[in-house]
Amino acid sequence: MHDVTHAIRRRRDLIVAAVLVALAACVPLFVKDVYVQNIMVLTLMYAGLSQSWNILGGYCGQISLGHALYFGLGAYVTAILLTKFGVLPWFGMLAGGLISALIALALGYPTFRLGGHYFAIATIVIAEIAYLLFLNWDWAGAALGIDMMVREDSWLKFQFLRSKLPYFYFALFFALAAWLVTWWLENSKWGYWWRAVKDNPDAAESLGVVVFKSKMGAGAISAFLTAIGGAFYAMFVSYIDPDAVMSFQFSLLIALPAVVGGIGTLWGPVLGAAILIPLTELTRSFIGGSGRGVDLIVYGGLIMLISLTRPDGLLGLFSRRKKEVAR
Amino acid sequence: MTITRRTVLLGATASAALLPIAARADTKEVVIGVLYPLSGSSAQIGVDAKHAFETAQDIINNKYDFDLPLARDAGLPGLGGAKIRLVFADHQADPQKGRAEAERLITQEKVCAIVGTYQSAVAVTVSQVCERYQIPFISADNSSPSLHRRGLKFYFRAAPHDEMFSKAMFDFFDALKKKGQKIETLALFHEDTIFGTDSANAQLKLAKDRGYKVVADIKYRANSPSLTAEVQQLKAANADVLMPSSYTTDAILLVKTMAELGYKPKNIVAQDAGFSEKALYDAVGDKLEGVISRGSFSLDLAQKRPMVGKINEMYKKNSGKDFNDYSSRQFMGLIVIAEAINRAKSTDGDKIRQALVATNIPGDHTIMPWKDIKFDAQGQNDDADPVLLQYVGKKFVTIAPPQAAVAEAIWPMK
Repeated sequence: MHDVTHAIRRRRDLIVAAVLVALAACVPLFVKDVYVQNIMVLTLMYAGLSQSWNILGGYCGQISLGHALYFGLGAYVTAILLTKFGVLPWFGMLAGGLISALIALALGYPTFRLGGHYFAIATIVIAEIAYLLFLNWDWAGAALGIDMMVREDSWLKFQFLRSKLPYFYFALFFALAAWLVTWWLENSKWGYWWRAVKDNPDAAESLGVVVFKSKMGAGAISAFLTAIGGAFYAMFVSYIDPDAVMSFQFSLLIALPAVVGGIGTLWGPVLGAAILIPLTELTRSFIGGSGRGVDLIVYGGLIMLISLTRPDGLLGLFSRRKKEVAR
Repeated sequence: MTITRRTVLLGATASAALLPIAARADTKEVVIGVLYPLSGSSAQIGVDAKHAFETAQDIINNKYDFDLPLARDAGLPGLGGAKIRLVFADHQADPQKGRAEAERLITQEKVCAIVGTYQSAVAVTVSQVCERYQIPFISADNSSPSLHRRGLKFYFRAAPHDEMFSKAMFDFFDALKKKGQKIETLALFHEDTIFGTDSANAQLKLAKDRGYKVVADIKYRANSPSLTAEVQQLKAANADVLMPSSYTTDAILLVKTMAELGYKPKNIVAQDAGFSEKALYDAVGDKLEGVISRGSFSLDLAQKRPMVGKINEMYKKNSGKDFNDYSSRQFMGLIVIAEAINRAKSTDGDKIRQALVATNIPGDHTIMPWKDIKFDAQGQNDDADPVLLQYVGKKFVTIAPPQAAVAEAIWPMK
């Protein structure tokens, strides 16, 4: 009985995702404004990034506050390969993803032995070291960053002068890919291992879960996807500097949608991004011009409100209602 | 022709339809986007900038008796007296947000030019967007020299860049040496973002070319909680001149740490930024008697050009502060673009660009110590002469270049 409802729920998730993607894909047909399209691109990008973070931070319970490292690596590898070696960003993106995954494994080797808060602190420190390295690395542009001039529309180079549509569809693809990976992993052997590790690593180990290896797997997948997002960001903005892609703030921005939406859930990051990103962008644009910081107060206030009333994320709103109906 | 009810009706409808058009022609306006950090750690810069732009807007839109372009007319005579309207936007010092806001200003607010941006990193993306949409970008107060060397057609900067600023410092050293002062060793102290990096690169190159020995080249982390180790290195080097490139909070920490560690530099010649901010002198001004900073503005100009003092009073009424290095350049940024739009007689991006290329404003028609405003092929004004200011008796006096100086430099500083 349980198995049947579980299978139905998973199929329903897939159908909902398909409908959402189909709807989202049609939106640019009606919304021509580049400013609104820009918000949609960012929302999808953060949904994908937060989904990637959620694999390690949500399902496996290893709270990383250093994902800016993988994001920045993806951006830098793509930008450097393009500007210094003429490598097309499509390959740069994969290279950035693979390098990030390898680095995640190398860093995971010592850090996944740390428990709880110590792991989170280690991720902050490592990301900060990488940030400082890039800030002082002259060959990689140091503080001046890397400027990727857009001269013409080109699918090969993934550069477009005015159109946001190619970026929009790529971001949609990225968010969908991260979601599908999560959806698939959720029901795999790894998905169960991760949740066991999250709940109680000692108990999981005693039951035969290979705790360390499963953490390494989650770290590598999460880093790979985050780097793809970073590579996309570099091409989207067409200029990167260490502050814009590697600062600590980015680590928080990547984690926040999942935390607000519902940590360790399939839909949490999507819901969180869909609320947070338009909120930041719109408040900045329409009340940020006053110079009084009202936009940030509104933003901070809302996050506090959500965390106070729904400590387990906005997704809790839906499940609670369902329980009430069941009663 | 008899007047029927129908013709009366027709006439009435026609005049009713014409009325709004006539009204619109009267209130025609020119919309200019202003992009600054209005929240976050550099929000104060953005708020001061807002007042500077509003002062310039007031002078352009209303009649004032100043020798400044567009001051004596109400609005832009070239566009039938059209008024300037400013749309302010916040980029929060983030290049991505700067890019998004520039796109919004161009596509939604229909601005015909953008002025900005304080942070050079944001100017990179904003100028790219302007280039793509063929809208002029006036880089009012960005000083990174790399900005105008990117082959952009819609990039214009009336103010000096860091290499010009550093050159002014070394010209000053050379002049002092000729007078018999001993200046042999320099210590560079700079933060690690785009501003400090560019500044130090220019200074290292100039020191090498002109035969000064750099005995310490210390790069530090911006917004660092402690500078003790760095100051100890400076103290050990004890150069003839200490040359800091720091923003306000770092500059305050530097001065405090030097006092704590008992290091009294022989001379300080600073690269503006924190050293032209009132906040620094409010906090540690007593330890800074005799400090020299480069600048692009000097209130001493009011002695030779009375309008500078009057415009400063207008700005002060809005902001509660005197014009400083940034607000004066921001003020001029709007004057320059408005003057070009007036000559272009159009709000079309390409026509404004052509007018900007032909800009020729004599120095005494500005509030700056510049020779004139003319743009070279890269959009840079090479005639924007920087000044050196010395902090003496709680205010700044101009000590170089000779044509703008009102006092002799006190060297070494007290």
